[in-house]
Amino acid sequence: MKCVLVATEGAEVLFYWTDEAFAESLRLKFGRSENEGEELPALEDQLSTLLAPVIISSMTMLEKLSDTYTCFSTENGDYLYVLHLFGECLFVAINGDHTEDEGDLRQKLCVLKYLFEVHFGLVTVDGQLVRKELRPPDRERRVQVWEHFQSLLRTYGRLREREQCFAVEAVERLIHPQLCELCIEALERHVIQAVNSSPERAGEEALHAFLLVHSKLLAFYSSHSASSLRPADLLALILLVQDRYPSESTAEDDDPQPSPRKPRSSESIPVQQAWSPASTARARRSSATETDSFSLPEEYFTPAPSPGEQSSGEAWGGGRHPPPTDSSSSPQIAEDTLQMLVPHSPVASGPRRIFLDASVKESHCPMVPHTAYCLPLWPGINMVLLTKSPGSPLALVLCQLLDAFSLLEKKLKEGQEAGTTLRSHPLMGDLRQRMDKFVKNRGGQEIQSTWLEFKSKAFSRSEPGSSWELLQACGKVKRQLCAIYRLSFLTTAPGRGGPHLPQQLQDKVQSIMQEKLTDWKDFLLVKSRRNVTMVSYPHARAPRLVHFIYVDRTTGQMVAPSLSSSKRISSELGRGPLATFIRTKVWSLIRLARRYLQKGYATLLFREGDFCFSYFLWFENEMGYKLQIIEVPVLSDDSTCIGVLGGDYYRKLLRYYSKSHPAEAVKCHELLALHLSVIPTDVLVQQAGELARRLWETSRLPLL
Amino acid sequence: MSRWERGSCVLKCLDHWMKGNMAPFCSLARWNYFFLYDGSKVKEEGDPTRAGICYFYPPQTLLDQQELLCGQIAGVVRCISDISASAPALVRLRKLKFAVKVDGEFLWVLGCAVELPDISCKQFLDQLIGVFNFYNGPVSLAYKNCSQEDLRAEWDTFIEQILKNTGDLHKIFSSLWNLDRTQVEPLLLLKAALILQTCQRSPHVLAGCILYKGLIVSTQLPPSLTAKVLIHPAASRHQRRPAGGGGPQERGAALPPNVRIMPVFLTEEEATSLREFPREQAASPAAAPARLQQCSAQQPPHPRSTGAPTDNATGHVEPMAWMLAATPESACPDVAWPDGKGENGHLPGCDLENVKPAKLHSPPRDEGPGLGSSLVKELHLPWGEEEPDLSAIHIPEAQETETSSGYFALPSTGAPDGGGPCFEEFVRDSGDPAPESRDAPPVVMAISSVLSPSTPEMLSQNGALEQHDDLPGDSSQAPFPREDHLPGRTSRPRSWPCSDLRQRGTALPEGEQGVERSVGAHDSCSAPGGSALPESQDDNGPSADRRDPGLAPASCMGLVPTNLYTHSVNGLVLSLLAEEPLRGDDAAIEEVYHSSLASLNGLEVHLKETLPKDAAASPSRTYNFTHYDRIQNVLTANLPQTATPQDRRFLRAVSLMHSDFAQLPALYEMTVRNASTAVYACCSPAQETYFQQLAAAARSSGFPSPQDGAFSLPGKARQKLLKHGVNLL
Repeated sequence: MKCVLVATEGAEVLFYWTDEAFAESLRLKFGRSENEGEELPALEDQLSTLLAPVIISSMTMLEKLSDTYTCFSTENGDYLYVLHLFGECLFVAINGDHTEDEGDLRQKLCVLKYLFEVHFGLVTVDGQLVRKELRPPDRERRVQVWEHFQSLLRTYGRLREREQCFAVEAVERLIHPQLCELCIEALERHVIQAVNSSPERAGEEALHAFLLVHSKLLAFYSSHSASSLRPADLLALILLVQDRYPSESTAEDDDPQPSPRKPRSSESIPVQQAWSPASTARARRSSATETDSFSLPEEYFTPAPSPGEQSSGEAWGGGRHPPPTDSSSSPQIAEDTLQMLVPHSPVASGPRRIFLDASVKESHCPMVPHTAYCLPLWPGINMVLLTKSPGSPLALVLCQLLDAFSLLEKKLKEGQEAGTTLRSHPLMGDLRQRMDKFVKNRGGQEIQSTWLEFKSKAFSRSEPGSSWELLQACGKVKRQLCAIYRLSFLTTAPGRGGPHLPQQLQDKVQSIMQEKLTDWKDFLLVKSRRNVTMVSYPHARAPRLVHFIYVDRTTGQMVAPSLSSSKRISSELGRGPLATFIRTKVWSLIRLARRYLQKGYATLLFREGDFCFSYFLWFENEMGYKLQIIEVPVLSDDSTCIGVLGGDYYRKLLRYYSKSHPAEAVKCHELLALHLSVIPTDVLVQQAGELARRLWETSRLPLL
Repeated sequence: MSRWERGSCVLKCLDHWMKGNMAPFCSLARWNYFFLYDGSKVKEEGDPTRAGICYFYPPQTLLDQQELLCGQIAGVVRCISDISASAPALVRLRKLKFAVKVDGEFLWVLGCAVELPDISCKQFLDQLIGVFNFYNGPVSLAYKNCSQEDLRAEWDTFIEQILKNTGDLHKIFSSLWNLDRTQVEPLLLLKAALILQTCQRSPHVLAGCILYKGLIVSTQLPPSLTAKVLIHPAASRHQRRPAGGGGPQERGAALPPNVRIMPVFLTEEEATSLREFPREQAASPAAAPARLQQCSAQQPPHPRSTGAPTDNATGHVEPMAWMLAATPESACPDVAWPDGKGENGHLPGCDLENVKPAKLHSPPRDEGPGLGSSLVKELHLPWGEEEPDLSAIHIPEAQETETSSGYFALPSTGAPDGGGPCFEEFVRDSGDPAPESRDAPPVVMAISSVLSPSTPEMLSQNGALEQHDDLPGDSSQAPFPREDHLPGRTSRPRSWPCSDLRQRGTALPEGEQGVERSVGAHDSCSAPGGSALPESQDDNGPSADRRDPGLAPASCMGLVPTNLYTHSVNGLVLSLLAEEPLRGDDAAIEEVYHSSLASLNGLEVHLKETLPKDAAASPSRTYNFTHYDRIQNVLTANLPQTATPQDRRFLRAVSLMHSDFAQLPALYEMTVRNASTAVYACCSPAQETYFQQLAAAARSSGFPSPQDGAFSLPGKARQKLLKHGVNLL
């Protein structure tokens, strides 16, 4: 029973997503009340009818009370509604099956909003323009757009439930220095340089290239001219790739082997077939790869279990899903997966315009247009190439202007006197100059007239406009700027026939990488399942340690033993119910740690049932010297969540901390550990400290 | 909003963060809004919202604002109810949160600061509704029978009292206001308990509590009920008629000085839990017809003193009650007595509260030994003695007394008879000794009708039990044979905690009652309905089910009229809940009054002398702690009135952890730490304890290190709290 809705102030639906159970409940509701003969209204109309009173009331409250709804919960938390207002759009998430808490729902909304930004860039600043993107008048196109985001939301939900890296929102690396080096070299020489030296590249400049094995990062290379990629953006790209080429690692969790004990729906069988060659290949190759120079013991490569084992495995529906997903909702997930495997729309295939944070000409700029090429090498292994179009300086200018106007708007709204004070504000002089220059160079007619109108209101000595008038004018200018941005980067997006790398260049790059990695691919696929093993952290050293997750928040990377509950690939914790149980515990630990961090607690230790959870967050300098903890900000329940994808909490935290340590580079780390509760606290703390030290050493491996 | 405009947000959000960081943990103790809205008055398009506002706090709120809040929240609640098929219990805004309760057309809403945990906000609303219903009956009837003005005054009084007395910690735990027992001579508490026990021997009296300056000294009532008695209605109130009852309750004779009797309304659960004991007492005499006769004489009976203790056997009560109900008119008078008087046997059971302090220095939950003897001691307390001889009572005995309280939790034989018969009794009681009240509450009839009374066959069905009970029933001094029951009972959790405000707690008794009811239904299928209400036509099976929702505190129908007798002696107030006939029974009132007057005076004097004038916090506090008794819903803490920044950090942590303890039943220990403080908490089904060291600890890095002081908190807590009587071992 899940639903997500994005609506305007006037309760017009900009986007919605529901799971099957929720759609069914709507059908029942409307089917009952309508006459039989009449057709049911479209799902979006049903939703808008139902939720309109809430949407309108929340706008009324905002207007009259300067406060608005953030959350509703019914008795026993049966239904949970989370509302978040982004600009002029109200995002609503509903859960009616106890599987998500408020934090999860809010995070989902933040992630959705972030995905909109990745797809539409600064157009999202303007409510009307983003409406055009999210709700195109053309019905077919609207369906396409919505299906795309619906699929992304499903993928996100699945990844968050299954993958530790999405649960803590940090990139998980495939740790193998030698192979990493090899790949980086190949990416540099045969991808980035090859593209940038090609005469056919049509003005596109290759900036970053990276390799993903399932959702784990194998190697990453950036060209010298490129600025670094934020962890949040990297995660978003992984999400996009996983959405387009759902990897076996997650798909198979949804669709286990057909088992005589529990027949599955026939629709999900193709999913299995699609990837079955890979699994057999893996088993074949695993013995070959182990001769390579690894420091890792042999049992590390567990061959895929025999078919006999598979069929005798746990019948799925035994609650393998993380928290309380019940078996009744599982078939639904299977259908979701199926839909994802079918290439959904022309928009989704081929290169895609995305907007990422970057530095342009030495200055930071959010949402710079890039083009992303996802080149599948084998099922489960993908290469992503990011290029920048020649238009990025324009993006920078637009961004700066929009920023200035937004600031101005804010000041006007706060009620500062419009007239003289504003005119004499240093910001205004600068803005006027830059805007004049921009208008002159760009020369569009509409922007010219809007700007003139604004100037007459803002700078006229004879009859200065009221602050309300100024606000109006300001809004108009912003809209014009956004329109230019939209025209430059969205209407001519590569997905809509805009300039992009020619297909043969993409093919060439793809085949080179396939060639380079062909000997490794099976190893990689196995390795991605059993990345860091507990074997490396012997139980002799850390008895009663069940699981841990170590995150470097500066680089946005995490290390953890694998926790697959998949039937075919056993993780360190084995398969089936035990692994599932521990996953549930780990996920709830992550949730709790987040909640307490939101309230300013950087250390947490609690005992629940047979387990003891601990969470530590600390800062250190470049050399690993531990810095004194600071008061972590206490945030309200409705603040954007403690995460990376929707809000980039840790970046803010680091910046906040750096204010008191301006001299050194500050790093932030987190350690989550799960022990058996019989462990005495002092032993636990000591173990955690040792573990963190060891992980720190190993994680210093360079990525580049 | 700012997230769309990401460009310039860096500095802004840092500022915002700083602000968030500095925000003091305050305003917990403040309510922002409370209102009662009657949706039925605003149906048509043209109806003004204000017509539906029954009460709004704070009253000085502009009417437009009132309309805005009522209208919007009511609208949203309706919308959410449509979608989710259940009404929202909590509506949260950025700076406010509203606990919401829908009761038919009525909507109760309490707005609190966002810092207050969700669960506490909901509990507060429940408490408010409970208090209102307690004094005024079901809200719909109250607003039908009384003027809005009167009820507004009523609300103002309630809210004023609650706001005045509720500190931050009380807010978080929704706990009762209790006397700091470390400040009181334990013998005084024991004395208070004895006063209550004495009163209980008077006819009609069910149970009660003693308050001193608004704080609990001793209570026999379940926490939810004590919470209601703690709050006094408006002064003018007792002149009014009971809203729900309707029947004229004017008393002919004047009441003794400083005594008030007012009609109040119990929820079914409360009524059940209060009557569990009387029934037990009544039981064995009931089995013997001779006893019935004896009791029917309606004399303040002396035999009681001996008979009672032997009656603690349970089980046989049921048939008795049913039999009575089958012939409501005729048989009732007889039974009224055994029932009303036999209580002394359950005395020990009632002093959960009052004896507790006595065991401060003893291992907790030490139960078992000397049960029998303690009972005997109780028995021999001279009857009618105004002032129990305290010197004769030693603390060890008090402990024993306490242990026997375990028999509140009735074992399977006892608990099953939970709800049923008592309603019967009620009907009977209200019907007979005070005939004028018969036309009183239709509500009551509705309840009782659910349980169709059965015919005397019942007796034979339960014959075995009765036989068993009969033996000791006659030999008044034979508590020992029955002792084998007691250990079993004591080991069970008491039934009270289940009926307190915490919703989940209600599950257990409901379940048990459900079982019992189905049994009762089965028994009584063929019985002629004793009450002629429509419900009684229904099958008994379904009716049992139907009653369950009725047990929820929210439902206002199905309230049971009762009398509240209060006697105040300066700061001391004796509150007793009694069956309705008390109002008309001058002799009984006299008896209660005289049996308690002298002891109350004495207790008041003693309390005044011993209680420190103002509890000056010891200047050298080195730690903060809070110990919350989940069962009795009371707090022990050492926080001063005015909170220092460190105290506020403690409160903040406590409120967070308290919600998690409430949500995660398996969670039992927590340590949280930020840069300025570390707080340790642990909980068990019976208690929650929070501990914070005040000494400024050396700042650490947050990196896991055994030297970190935060991890030594559990040990320190164990050691330091021992002297407060909190045993964490």
